[in-house]
Amino acid sequence: MQVDGQTNKSPAAPLTVASARRRGSLRSPHRRALRLGLLFVSPWIAGFLLFFAYPFFATIYYGFTDFNGVGAAHWIGFTNYVNLFHDPLFKTSLFNTFYYTAIELPLSTVAALGLALLLNMNVRGRAIYRTIFYIPSIVPLVASCMIFVWLFNPAFGIVNDLLIDAHLPSPDWFFSVAWSKPSFILLGLWGLGQPMVIYLAGLQGVPRDMYEVAALDGASAWKRFRYITLPMISPVILFNVILQLVLCISYFTQAQVIESADPGGPGTSTWFYVQYLYEQAFLFLKLGYSSAMAFFLFVISAVIMVVLFRSSARWVYYANEQQ
Amino acid sequence: MPTSSSRSARRFGGSVAKHATLIAVSVLLGFPLFWMVLTSLKTNPQSLAVPPLWWPHPFVWRNYPEMLSAVPFWRFVLNTLMYAGVTIVGVCVSSSLVAYGFSRIRWRGRDVLFQVMVGTLLIPFFATLIPLFTMYKNFHMVGWYLPLMIPTFLGSSVFSTFLLRQFFMAIPESLSDAARVDGANEFTIFSRIILPMAKPALATVILFQFIYCWNDFIGPLIYINNQVWYPLSLGLNLILGTYTTNWPWVMAAATAATAPIIVLFFFTQRTFIKGISIQGTGVKG
Repeated sequence: MQVDGQTNKSPAAPLTVASARRRGSLRSPHRRALRLGLLFVSPWIAGFLLFFAYPFFATIYYGFTDFNGVGAAHWIGFTNYVNLFHDPLFKTSLFNTFYYTAIELPLSTVAALGLALLLNMNVRGRAIYRTIFYIPSIVPLVASCMIFVWLFNPAFGIVNDLLIDAHLPSPDWFFSVAWSKPSFILLGLWGLGQPMVIYLAGLQGVPRDMYEVAALDGASAWKRFRYITLPMISPVILFNVILQLVLCISYFTQAQVIESADPGGPGTSTWFYVQYLYEQAFLFLKLGYSSAMAFFLFVISAVIMVVLFRSSARWVYYANEQQ
Repeated sequence: MPTSSSRSARRFGGSVAKHATLIAVSVLLGFPLFWMVLTSLKTNPQSLAVPPLWWPHPFVWRNYPEMLSAVPFWRFVLNTLMYAGVTIVGVCVSSSLVAYGFSRIRWRGRDVLFQVMVGTLLIPFFATLIPLFTMYKNFHMVGWYLPLMIPTFLGSSVFSTFLLRQFFMAIPESLSDAARVDGANEFTIFSRIILPMAKPALATVILFQFIYCWNDFIGPLIYINNQVWYPLSLGLNLILGTYTTNWPWVMAAATAATAPIIVLFFFTQRTFIKGISIQGTGVKG
């Protein structure tokens, strides 16, 4: 191989492959590449097996045991799952997470796309607006929570003051049963910089001449958006919806932090699924029970993902595939 | 000329409407940070005035030194920097190797394995957490940052690997071929040719890993239980829980934690935006 390479410089690679094929030793360079490839990827494979595959299957196993962190785990069959469905807090936390996801997901999609559309307008100083729009999403999450608890403070917060001035109702926000989840949703809508930037990149990738042709044909702005922009960026929408969905399903940090400003909180109206899981596992050491919860969470998110991907065949348009 | 002037007037009007919308949204999105800074400069009674006092009078700068000495804020920062520093090394080393294997070498099963890797992003963090925690506990590693550091040396940062792979794929294959002809082995090509070219991508990876550590809450919450080792996120949470009635201090802490990140963002904006956009470009691939 090396002799071949030294005699004829750069077109050597295809030549050596061809000569290797003629000699009938097709498999050896493939095997060499396989070995090399696996060697480079081996850190991830080790990490995947150790920090992902093993704990994933162990979670399933623990879910069928009474494991409590010390001592042995005893097989108890479906007891944990049966108990789960008789546990009111489990149901509440599941419902709260669904509630949050069902409202936050569409709202954040529309808001992030809306912000991207605003930034995609042809105006001066776009970069400055983009910076301002993006900044909330790099504020540390715990700091964002601090800020929002203060802004929406029932007695001293500026939001309620402005609402009172406008003769509007001034709820207790994070501290009220009815308004706590909407408060979390508002907090979520503040930090949409990441999907916004991804949408913006998607919008800028739409060929300009498509709009020009459509405008010549007399298509209105709405029609251009509906029949050009939306189909062209639909893969980006799918991508962002999946990212947001993953965040919503594992909603935890914000709820946990804001609870520390108000221990106890407004009843169970701000108990999210993963928070309850965390409490069962790390405060009460009911590791078997919480493993069952963890596996159930995986099943739910897997089902949602499958439904989403199946449906995407109908609404996501891949320009390359149509040719 | 009436038509042309009315057209330019309409264009002017449109531009004013666009700017008005953009400014209104900017004010709405910027207000929480503005209010955070203002509150951090008020006395406690001023911050609790009803109706709220808009402008601090006078500006109370001493909230900052007081807050910084009431809690071990610098210790939190130092812990965070250490957490970020070590994991940045881990991510750069392992993700660049893995990304190379997923992009510059053709081997059977490569793309399937890559899809598996990206697929792990869809699995909830808590679906694997409990056995992991038990495992680290058995190895007596709970209480310090090892459980959060070790995985980064084994390619746990899928985002970084993904980003580096996108970058590596854009480098012409002829470069590697030429080096192979000269007898260079794959590791030499990786370390001498490809990696030096990927400096911008590595800069992005470093930046995002730093921000990730600065913000990470769940990881330290689970593994760090001694306040001496708290990172900034847990420290802030502690401040919020302890000084719930002293909002100027709470807001001073929030400002102190946010300001460095915003300054960093101003200096690295392009790297930042490009890094996020690359994620989106992978969608169509």
